[in-house]
Amino acid sequence: MRRDVQGILLILVGGAVLRITLGGTYLNYVKEGMRTWLLISGSTLIVLGVMALLDALRRGRKSEDEATPHDEPGEHGGTGDHDHSGGHGHDHGHGPRAAWLLILPVLAIFLIAPPALGAFAVARDTSNAAEPAEAKAPPLPAGDPVPMSVAEYVGRAVWDDGLTLEGRTVAMTGFVTPDPAGGWWLSRLAMACCAADAIASKIKVVDAPDLPANTWVDVTGAWIPGGGTKTETAVPLIEILELVQVPQPKNPYD
Amino acid sequence: MTSSTPQRQGYRPGSLEVLAVGLVLLIIGQSYLVDAFDNPALQTGATIFVSIVVQALPFLVFGVVLSGAIAAFVPASFWKKALPKNPILAVPVAGAAGAVLPGCECASVPVANGLMARGVAPAAALAFLLSAPAINPIVLLSTFVAFPGEPMMVVARFIASLATAIIMGWLWLRFGKMKWLRIGPRGHLVGSNSWHTFRLTTTHDFLHAGGFLVIGGLTAAVLNVVVPQAWLTAIADQPVLSVLALAGLAVVLSICSEADAFVAASLTEFSLTAKLAFLVVGPMVDIKLVSLQAGTFGTKFAARFPPATFILAVFFSVLVGWWLLS
Repeated sequence: MRRDVQGILLILVGGAVLRITLGGTYLNYVKEGMRTWLLISGSTLIVLGVMALLDALRRGRKSEDEATPHDEPGEHGGTGDHDHSGGHGHDHGHGPRAAWLLILPVLAIFLIAPPALGAFAVARDTSNAAEPAEAKAPPLPAGDPVPMSVAEYVGRAVWDDGLTLEGRTVAMTGFVTPDPAGGWWLSRLAMACCAADAIASKIKVVDAPDLPANTWVDVTGAWIPGGGTKTETAVPLIEILELVQVPQPKNPYD
Repeated sequence: MTSSTPQRQGYRPGSLEVLAVGLVLLIIGQSYLVDAFDNPALQTGATIFVSIVVQALPFLVFGVVLSGAIAAFVPASFWKKALPKNPILAVPVAGAAGAVLPGCECASVPVANGLMARGVAPAAALAFLLSAPAINPIVLLSTFVAFPGEPMMVVARFIASLATAIIMGWLWLRFGKMKWLRIGPRGHLVGSNSWHTFRLTTTHDFLHAGGFLVIGGLTAAVLNVVVPQAWLTAIADQPVLSVLALAGLAVVLSICSEADAFVAASLTEFSLTAKLAFLVVGPMVDIKLVSLQAGTFGTKFAARFPPATFILAVFFSVLVGWWLLS
């Protein structure tokens, strides 16, 4: 790979990072706290890329086959990275061949713009309610409906026998994942670090109209018994009192 | 694009032309591409792929910039002066030095080679070769970020990796033979001045490591979307099998150590000990490293050193995992 191509590749990767960070879609992939680091690293890549391009231009003005051995890795054998085409001296600054693969995330970001994980990922995740560290959840704060996350509802319903939810109404935001057995789950994904480790939470809705997969909704509802307790695969139930379709939140993850 | 550049061997399309034509074709075909990816499984895979790359990128950039700065601005003679004369002592000191010096594993091979060429005891240089990519601050920080709520993972990674590096250094001191080791000429990108060296090293290291990060991200995405979760759970439920599976995966994937914690964290079905084995083995033994080592130190070295390292790394992962992570 020539030095100018190396430069273009760096600029493309840096540009892709800046584009998703400034455009806000980086929240589909990573946590909000990464923003500053993404801005710094994207800019660094662009600066390095511009300098590599300038190097290549400056050298281009020199004679074509002037030997510039300082740009050639001093040793290399057996890695398959560096094919020296013949003995003539012009320097293409052969970069590592694996570097071509860096075009893939750039293409994915600019051409496909993968959306936030949704119903497909939820349906794949067979476990639902990780056993909480504390055995007993604290009582809900006063006032109805109580806003909470889907994961918190699942935790309370499955591992606390729904005791803290009984007789209360809750408000949640999530999206629709079709239940293969009919109807749908109110679901939401939470990530520990990035979307690759996202964990799904889902609640089976009762008394709700059918909606297409990945529709975002604000739900007000009340806990009803059923769905199993004390296992990681239990899916609790909720009776829907109010349901509003909403746009996808700025941060689609919990 | 078909202009015939006057060259002695006739026209051969260079990488710039390939890149330009490829990008134009992709832009023309964008709507087809988007249609082709209008499939929940492919989109989920693409999202996981991009998220691993995006999450790991800042750590990678930070790592290559720092290691480039060290390669360019710290004279190599410094290391010889800094290490004890007695090789038995030099091994742990060099191993521990890896904890302060950021360096990609791809960079650590030429650095270790340069150390030997400057008269540092091979055993000490090899301990450094193993420990620098495994326990440097950026790697530990990325591990901390990738495993929120599991700070012991960072400690376990540090202890298991350092133990493997030091024991391997001592093993080399006791059993290693010089005829297994070919010390090449000083292997480094050298620019016309320090600043130029810095830019060349940083660019080269980033492109190299970035390429392997993409391979790791793609594999993780495929594992996440294609392989039925029941299979993964079945392997993950077998303690011995799961450790060996992830240690083997680390060898195959060859992800840069600055980025591997995020891939490990995405394998949610597996035990922490299995993930630890992935993190300890990966920076020390993988396909890319073995081929780099074969190219730098010779095939006799590559046939002996990496397999021994693999066994020790798995051993210490299990030991430390059992001690700290269960």
